[in-house]
Parts: sequence; C-alpha cells; structure tokens
Amino acid sequence: MVITIASGKGGTGKTTIAINLAATLVDSEKIECHHSVWLLDCDVEEPNAALFLKPAFHIKKNVERPLPVIDPEKCSACGRCIEVCEYHAIAIVGKKPIFFKELCHACGSCTLNCPENAIDEKPEVIGILKSGKRGLLHFSEGLLKIGFSSPVPVIRELKKWVISSVEPHDIILLDASPGTTCPVVESLRDADFALLVTEPTPFGLHDLSLITSLVQEEFKLPCGVVINKSGTNDSIIENFCQDKGIPILMRLPLSRQIAEIYSKGNLLINKLPELKDLLSGLFIQIQNVKRG
Amino acid sequence: MQIVITLEEKIGLDSKISNIFGRCNFFMFINPDTKKFTIEENPAKDTPGGAGIQAAQFIADNSPAAVITGHLGPKAHTVLFSAGIPVYQFQGKSLEETLNDYNHRNLKNLFEADVKDHTGLK
Repeated sequence: MVITIASGKGGTGKTTIAINLAATLVDSEKIECHHSVWLLDCDVEEPNAALFLKPAFHIKKNVERPLPVIDPEKCSACGRCIEVCEYHAIAIVGKKPIFFKELCHACGSCTLNCPENAIDEKPEVIGILKSGKRGLLHFSEGLLKIGFSSPVPVIRELKKWVISSVEPHDIILLDASPGTTCPVVESLRDADFALLVTEPTPFGLHDLSLITSLVQEEFKLPCGVVINKSGTNDSIIENFCQDKGIPILMRLPLSRQIAEIYSKGNLLINKLPELKDLLSGLFIQIQNVKRG
Repeated sequence: MQIVITLEEKIGLDSKISNIFGRCNFFMFINPDTKKFTIEENPAKDTPGGAGIQAAQFIADNSPAAVITGHLGPKAHTVLFSAGIPVYQFQGKSLEETLNDYNHRNLKNLFEADVKDHTGLK
C-alpha cells in the first residue's frame, strides 16, 4: 500500500507525521505488520526526513536525463524542433540552432522529429538517489542537483527504484513536497491513499482545499486529514472536511514540547511514547477508510 | 528597413510602448522614416515558459534592423544578439518621440540583458 503524505501549505507537519508514523509502524505489535515499511522523502528540492531518522545509507544511484545535443553540421535550420518544443528551449537564428538547456524538459520531441537526424541525446546527471535503513525501517530519498529546476524526474526515478523492489503488501509512505504543483502530482501518482496534514489556520485551510481538489477531483483517491497544531481553531477544518466528506483521522495538539523535540531533530515517539498509540490508530483508520 | 517596437496596446502611432519584451501584447513593425507600419499580436504573450525566446525567434524570423523595448532578459538577449539585431531602450516617452529619438540616435543600446529571467511575469 502506497500512502502519500501531502499538505498544500508548507510547515504543517508532513515530515513530523511521516517519520513518526514510519517509526511507529516498524515496531508496532498492534498492527499485523509482517510486511516491510518504507519511507521515501520525495521533497527532492529539500529532503529533511533523514535529519531526524539518521539512517545508514548503503546504496546511491544517479538520476540522469537525456539532454539533446544538436549537430550544427547536420542541422538544416528547418525549424521543426522549434515547432515541437513545448518549452521554447530552442531558437534558430542565422541558420544556427541555439539550445537553452535550463528550459529543456528532456521530453525527446526534438530528437524524434528532426528530419535531418541532427539531434542526439547524451545523459546528464540531474540528481542522486540514496537508500538505506534505520533499524527495520527502509528509507530512501532523492536530491535534485543544485542549479536544476525540474524535480519531477528525480521523484519518478526514486519511486521506480524503490517500488520495483517491494513486496505487494509492504507499506510505502511518501513524504511529498509542499504545494500542489508538479512534484506533488508526481508524488500522488500511483498512491493508494492520500494523508493530508493541515493546521487550523486560514492558510492551512486554503491550501488544504487546493490539495483536496487535486486528490479528490484529479486522482479520485481516498483521503483523510490530520490536524496538526490542533486545539486553537479546529472548527474551520472540521467544517471543510464535513463539507467534502473527508474523515479527520488524527489530531496532534499545538504544544511547545512537541515543537522543542522537533527542533532538536528528535522523533516525537521517543520522547512521548504515548503518541505511538495515536499513530497506530491513525494507520488502522487509514486501512478502514481505504477499505471503504 | 523596418524596426520592431513592443506595444502594450494597438492604437496605431498613439499606442503605448511596452516595457516588457517577451510577454508584451503586440509588436509594431514600422519603417522609422515613412512611419508605415503593421501591428502583429505577440505569439509568446501567454506561453507558460520561454516567452522571451519565442518572442525573439518571431522577431528574428522577420529580420528587422532594430528592436525598441523597455527591458530585455538574458535568453531573449542571447537570441536577438545571435541574430545580429540591436536592441534600443525606450525611455518612457511617446511612440512618436521615441521614433524621433531613434532616428537621431538618441536611444541607449542594450548591449546586454538588463533584467533577470521571468521579470515580465511579475
């Protein structure tokens, strides 16, 4: 089962929930969990789950993209590549092609359509994947190389790399990036359930409504909400969830103690073991919602 | 020989010149001596990305003698520079005054990009 943890708004507690849920699941006896648990940090522009989990990484792998290389000798300046490039990454002036690498999405259209076969592709490293373990928990993350602006291929490769090696009943948690743009869409693709972490503020609600549209309308995924920093103004989230028919599966209170534990890079469940019951309960609820 | 002026609106010689290059609304192709002109919609105006490149390509395909605009980003500059088309900076005056300044060589030549990428989106 693939569970994607998303939020819309940043800083609501996706990583907090993801790491503590993952760590709870690997040693929970309440859950019939003979399966492996995987956590994938899909926030490849700024992965931070490893800061808390401190896993031992033992495999690394580069992520490459096919970068078009235009042979100016073969190019007849016909302009076909310009017509097919959705991203305007190529211009032709004075019969010479100019390629803007940073706009290229490596879609392959120019190579495929060039009537002169003047475009070749050479691999370019755009990121790195790492995989390792923390106790029984399998942990993997992707990291987009500095200076590159397209995280999606790194997330796609990270998922492909891990999901190809898991058993059908393994539990895979994906910690998505904030927002509702392409990287989040990629993190939700192939998910079986979306866990939406929010906070009871107008910003939290606004972005929860955006991510809800994506999850419900585009992906038609079963989902549930976790209210983090709960206890101040929960009713705004409750009203929204009731309206959209989304269950609230867990609440984590607004607490200075929780913030302090997090700020020191520790897992909440190590200092507040009572949270394990709450998180085991969350997982059971997710299974129930998914079964319908 | 024609030159290109970026426009905000399409009301002939009274049009307001656009400060933005890649995402301006219209391009005026005008002969600065006879003031005979045509106005074309900018095909790159609403493109999701690479507007400067697409607009510069459109202009380069028409091989004008010069471009007059407010600001130019690095990618559009690369394309126009490679095409050998000089770019002159509009100084906030009316279209007719600007043409006059162009004819008297009183406009500043933009030898390099003067704004960063995506400035026209803001």
